[in-house]
Amino acid sequence: MERRNFKESRLNNWVSLIFRLGIAISLALVVIGLIILVVLSGTKDIQPLFRLDQIPAAIVISIGILILLLTPILPVLISVVTFWTERNKLYLGISTTVLFFLILSLILALT
Amino acid sequence: MLLCQTTPLNELNLWALGGTGLVAGFLGSMLGVGGGPIIVPVLTLALGLPIHVAIGSSLVAIVANSCTAAGIYTQARLTNVKLGLLLETTTTPGAIVGGFIAAVIAPSILSALFGLILIYTAYTMITRRYILNENVLPKDNSAKTDKAANDLPSSLTTSYHDQNLGKVVTYKVNHLPQGLGASFFAGILSSLLGIGGGIIKVPVMSLVMGVPMKAAIATSTFMIAITTTVGALIYYYHGYIYPIIIAPLVIGAVIGARLGAELAQRARGVLLRRIFGTFLFLVALLMFIRTANVV
Repeated sequence: MERRNFKESRLNNWVSLIFRLGIAISLALVVIGLIILVVLSGTKDIQPLFRLDQIPAAIVISIGILILLLTPILPVLISVVTFWTERNKLYLGISTTVLFFLILSLILALT
Repeated sequence: MLLCQTTPLNELNLWALGGTGLVAGFLGSMLGVGGGPIIVPVLTLALGLPIHVAIGSSLVAIVANSCTAAGIYTQARLTNVKLGLLLETTTTPGAIVGGFIAAVIAPSILSALFGLILIYTAYTMITRRYILNENVLPKDNSAKTDKAANDLPSSLTTSYHDQNLGKVVTYKVNHLPQGLGASFFAGILSSLLGIGGGIIKVPVMSLVMGVPMKAAIATSTFMIAITTTVGALIYYYHGYIYPIIIAPLVIGAVIGARLGAELAQRARGVLLRRIFGTFLFLVALLMFIRTANVV
């Protein structure tokens, strides 16, 4: 039981770290992008669509958004690796199934 | 790149977007839901954004909200990661099936039916503890952990420290087949109605599977982060994500999510259940209004 608790704690630690790190990095980029926007374009008449002076800000924010969107997939990958190293076949199968359906959803939607 | 006529944003709009994200993030992380019903109407009605842009923006904000909350809840050991992964095995294929069914069923009919389901669920959450009560559990749903915990139900038994109760709560997960079936149905509905799964997942875990409310909320945010990110990536790919709109939404959502998650840990489980039930009533009302507008 104690061994199981330790393994669970280790997985929780990794999952928590990935979420917090992913949010921190993406949020930092989004804030920096917003600051660039305000500095270069001011705060009046900001168009949602791209203007030339908004491109640097948009690029930085876009990278931040992409990191944010990829963050939730990493815990699933980490789970697969963790259960594989623990030789936990049941949850290796479960986490791999989740990863499979995630990839399948993406493929179906993009084709 | 999608071209559309939209209201020019100015400083006031940026603050309004941030405020919208803040409210959605706060409620979403506290109740284990996405926050889409708050964000989408603001973006479409107040800012005049096309629905695809509004939904795409909402999805990104939901990912930000749920990732923030999931990081906090997992660190506090509230999230049942194994249960979340297990339920995702049926929720995700349900969402895929829902995408195909959407072509043949009128959304207005589904909205009305779903509204009725929400009313029943809201009533149950406010007044009753469980739906399936064959195995009546102790008040705090605690259970002695089994020595040989190799079977699936036993492997889901876990514990967390409840800040409000001031003690460790150990619980086991019941009625797995019913929970998996309900999650599949939840996935279909999520896809058909374009809603986050939280308003279905939290009641399923809490009322059917016997998971304490706080753990159900925490596990739901973990699941929402995973499933919503797929939809958001699709919208990103199709060019419906506008960075200038997303930025203040995400910042507000992260701040709101932190506040909501911290408050939820300190609140009583019964209070959270009743707030959630009330929230379900409001969403049901929105569903009926949507149906009435279409009909």
